[in-house]
Amino acid sequence: MGKAKIKIEKELYQKIVKIAGVAGYSSPEEYIVHVLEKEISKFEGADSEEEIKKRLKGLGYIS
Amino acid sequence: MIKEKTGDEIRRREFLEMVLGASAGLLLTPGKAFLRTAGKRPTDLKVVVLGFDGMDPGLVRQYIDRGSLPNFKKLAASGSFLKLRSSVPPQSPVAWANFITGTNPGGHAIFDFVHRDPKNYLPIFSASESLPSKHNLRLGSLILPLSGGEVKNLRKGRAFWQILEDYDIPATIFKIPSNYPPVETRQRTFSGMGTPDLKGYYGLFNYYTNEYRTITEEYGGGGRVHNIYVIGNRVEARIPGPNNPFKKGNPETYVDFKVFIDPINAVAKIAYQDQEFILKEKEWSGWKQIRFEFLPAQGVSGIFMFYLKEIRPKFKLYVSPININPADPALPVSTPDSYSRELARKFGPFFTKGLPADTAALENGVLDEDEFLAQDEIVYNESLAMLEDELKNFRSGVLFFYFSNTDQRQHMFFRLIDHGHPAYEETLAAEFGQVIEKTYQQMDKALQMVMEKADHDTVIIVLSDHGFTPFRRGFNLNTWLLQNGYHHLESGARPEELTLFSKTDWSRTKAYGVGLNALYLNLKGRESRGIVEQRERETLAREIASKLEKIVDPKTGERVILKAYLSQETYSGAFVNEAPDIILGFNRNYRISWNSPLGNFPGELLEDNAQKWSGDHMSSPDVIPGILLSNRPVRMEDPALEDVTAGLLSLFGIKIPPEVTGKPIF
Repeated sequence: MGKAKIKIEKELYQKIVKIAGVAGYSSPEEYIVHVLEKEISKFEGADSEEEIKKRLKGLGYIS
Repeated sequence: MIKEKTGDEIRRREFLEMVLGASAGLLLTPGKAFLRTAGKRPTDLKVVVLGFDGMDPGLVRQYIDRGSLPNFKKLAASGSFLKLRSSVPPQSPVAWANFITGTNPGGHAIFDFVHRDPKNYLPIFSASESLPSKHNLRLGSLILPLSGGEVKNLRKGRAFWQILEDYDIPATIFKIPSNYPPVETRQRTFSGMGTPDLKGYYGLFNYYTNEYRTITEEYGGGGRVHNIYVIGNRVEARIPGPNNPFKKGNPETYVDFKVFIDPINAVAKIAYQDQEFILKEKEWSGWKQIRFEFLPAQGVSGIFMFYLKEIRPKFKLYVSPININPADPALPVSTPDSYSRELARKFGPFFTKGLPADTAALENGVLDEDEFLAQDEIVYNESLAMLEDELKNFRSGVLFFYFSNTDQRQHMFFRLIDHGHPAYEETLAAEFGQVIEKTYQQMDKALQMVMEKADHDTVIIVLSDHGFTPFRRGFNLNTWLLQNGYHHLESGARPEELTLFSKTDWSRTKAYGVGLNALYLNLKGRESRGIVEQRERETLAREIASKLEKIVDPKTGERVILKAYLSQETYSGAFVNEAPDIILGFNRNYRISWNSPLGNFPGELLEDNAQKWSGDHMSSPDVIPGILLSNRPVRMEDPALEDVTAGLLSLFGIKIPPEVTGKPIF
């Protein structure tokens, strides 16, 4: 899978670098990906059909 | 003298009768009150049935010959050891339902782990259904249920212990699959496979880590990963519980917890609610209780375990699925109600969730092989202790006792005894290649316990519901239907991106696959947007079945499906018309793919299975029979599961009821 670049304010980036270090991330990129994935996951799989899939997956036979 | 109820008892009872636990539609209902215990007729006859899920006759023979199973050998020599014909399809809920009812799926209406709703084509769990409360009172953001919801066991037909009850013969049935919630009886029964966790899932673990992972709940299938921060040697997080039925929108409940990490040593203190304890790195916590509140003083309790996988450099904490607390069950898990509490009093907390081993955690690398086995050893040791206790108190009638370990470990470790498996790894095989044999030896120990207790009035029956085969290649049924013109998508739809038939053009679709072995025709009058006329049903089913049986895997030259069973010809009984139209009987090494069961259309027709879940049992039943051993000679050459049921009843001189289609094995 390819990679894309995005631009953010320098000031925000400095904060990210600082927090990523304190929180134990190996790089600011790792931290940013983490935070974004966490936010995105809130909008994914919210409908009842997804709920059906998740519940059935616990059986082990379905992925 | 009748004791008056205390205020607490009234509140508890009323609460359970009124409320629903709304996570994923999960309901809370009371069990029934039982006035007397069953089975007062004196009988000296004792029948002990050991059910080892998925125990394979080929492996049993191999391990007997190797001297690993001395008690199996002894039992076989004293009576019989035969292959046992499994159900069509040989999936556990179907097969055990055959044994429970003494008939085929046409008589008990469990055809697959997963059925579908013909109204919307969506997959549903076949074994039980949760119905919400019909009447609610809304007060601001609160919703108060005015009538009880219901959890319904969808298996039809009477269980053999209900028939025994008619004759006043006592029975204890421990964790038999396909019995959740337990059917009404005065016998002692505890539910098994099919029993959900407290959230209504079939096992949802939680994993707290600051390690970068691509794993998500969706990918994890059975787990939720929480990204946490370790700040000042401290972690704060929450454990999700059932959805709150009393609040508008049924928000998820949760319990906060804190972890205090020792700055020098590899230990941490975990604190939540009124609990506080120390865990070392790589240590299991043992069972912990937790309570999720819905309203002040109204809530449900569960049990779970922590496993502190790693403290540094990365923090990794596993929390097992929240099991129903047997000491205070929020959902019906036993008959009588008191049986669950009695077991909890004697043994403390124990696994109540069906399929207890966390295969999803191993699959996703949250637990490694050693950690998975450590957890499943807890399951085994709990079962063994309970078997010992039941045997001690067993005086007459039937004792059925179930072990899940054989099934769960074969699913996950077959890759390490099958050199041709895409997930075979030599180094892992050197370390874990003996797991399955050792598990069979553990079952030999359970059998030894039974044999030592048995006297001349005791009949011992050992059976499994099916055997096992490697799962090397997966078949995408819906892709095949699409490629062969039986399934159509809306124009512009991209098959690989679809799930749950989201872009199916039902006005042109004749067939679809849902579940692990099932194919349905889009039948007019049955499916909401059905187009296949009743008069063309049989011809179309035969045409599809014949084509399916001819599919050859270009990679191996093997046939993929040995037999495509037409349900109208295969089944008998009152529920045949509810069955899928075709049941796929796969060849050895093959199974339905990971994605096809839920209405997906992956690009390839056949794909390698490189997952840890590497053994399975979706074959034609003659490829993977179960086992039948007894200290009594079996007078049948090719017995089936339902014949054992008939044999069991016949031992007590009970006339076989007409709905039991099996013939006595003795």
